Amino acid sequence: MTVVTRAPSVESWVQSFTEANNHDPEIQAHGKYFTCSYLLDMEAHTFVVRVVSGTIAQISVDPGPIEVPYQFAIRASAHTWGEFGKPVPDPMYHGIWAATFQRDMKLEGDVLVLMQNLRCLTRQIELLRSTGAPV
Amino acid sequence: MSKISPVTGRYVTVDVDGLEYKVFYLENGQGQPLVCQHTAGAHNHQWRGLLEDPEITAKYRVIAYDLPRHGKSDPPENTEWWTEEYQLSADHFANFIVALVDALELVDPIFMGSSFGGNIALQLAHRFPERFDAVIPVEGADHSPGFYLDWWQHPHANAAQVCGSGTWDLMAPQSPEADRWKTWFYYTQGSEAFKGDLYFYSVDHDLRGKLGEIQTDKCAVVLMTGEYDYLTTPEDGARTASQIPGAEFIEMKAIGHFPMSENYPVFKGYLVQALDLIRTKTAVGA
Repeated sequence: MTVVTRAPSVESWVQSFTEANNHDPEIQAHGKYFTCSYLLDMEAHTFVVRVVSGTIAQISVDPGPIEVPYQFAIRASAHTWGEFGKPVPDPMYHGIWAATFQRDMKLEGDVLVLMQNLRCLTRQIELLRSTGAPV
Repeated sequence: MSKISPVTGRYVTVDVDGLEYKVFYLENGQGQPLVCQHTAGAHNHQWRGLLEDPEITAKYRVIAYDLPRHGKSDPPENTEWWTEEYQLSADHFANFIVALVDALELVDPIFMGSSFGGNIALQLAHRFPERFDAVIPVEGADHSPGFYLDWWQHPHANAAQVCGSGTWDLMAPQSPEADRWKTWFYYTQGSEAFKGDLYFYSVDHDLRGKLGEIQTDKCAVVLMTGEYDYLTTPEDGARTASQIPGAEFIEMKAIGHFPMSENYPVFKGYLVQALDLIRTKTAVGA
């Protein structure tokens, strides 16, 4: 897998993140029931990621108000997401729990759905270390 | 060449606070007892690297026990524990460790624990300084609120996976993947105890304003904290150490909240420093 050194474009990230997820051995081995929709709020851009049985079915880019429904949201500044996109993140940018407890990340909405999918979601967010973050 | 590990496992019966426990412990080595407490919701395999370390076990008798309700240590033998909610108190946790030390007839042990084991290490130094030569609180602090959460035991989510993946970010990305996954695996096994353990960690444990009472001339204190620990940060560890007269603090780089389990070789380098500091301090105090 190619490791990027600067922020990818939105279009290329949507493609690389989808491919990374859909070919990830861990998610494909354990994602049979990994089905949910969530908002990634990266400040400069927002994305609604729709996952069906471990496969990313769609990533909606900068959706309009109430245009694309989602169950929970992961929000943070562009700076924080940029740090998540490094191959080896600095402390407190190495996961959604760390950044929520110690930085500006917010977990909002139906957090139960997040918890129900926590194993695969944790891996999915870590894919940013190889794709980079598009902000 | 034999593939049998030198580590042995035994059970010992411990009576404390009216409860009877059959406690499982692993041990290896000879010398001063080094008693090791695993983290909340886990078990003694977190100390697997230390238990098989020939250099450490040449000088120390390493004993890693399973706290009751964890690993192979059952809940109390003499109560209907299933009719009560498990909430570990500071009083019972500290009394249990002293009773275990008595049951094993240990003399001048060093106590080392991580996370809630680090917090109880501080409690032991505060309550029973005459019973321990030294304590090594790993990832411990005077106060650690915020982790007593219903998510660990929520019936609508997979509690095993929530415990395993909810603690995943406590480890450093530099730690070997296989060791992080072992640690994750231990966490999937302890979900019924994890939340009750965290009652002690985040609610009942509070030494704010009391750290100055710890007598390090009787019981040396060396704190160690990993830089990727988002729960008990290096700042928390340094603050805690600064308020204990005579205590030492070591910040561990490129490691997290489960240092002995997620990356033993890195942890060992810092542990050797801590043990050297303790030897120096106890030699001066003797």
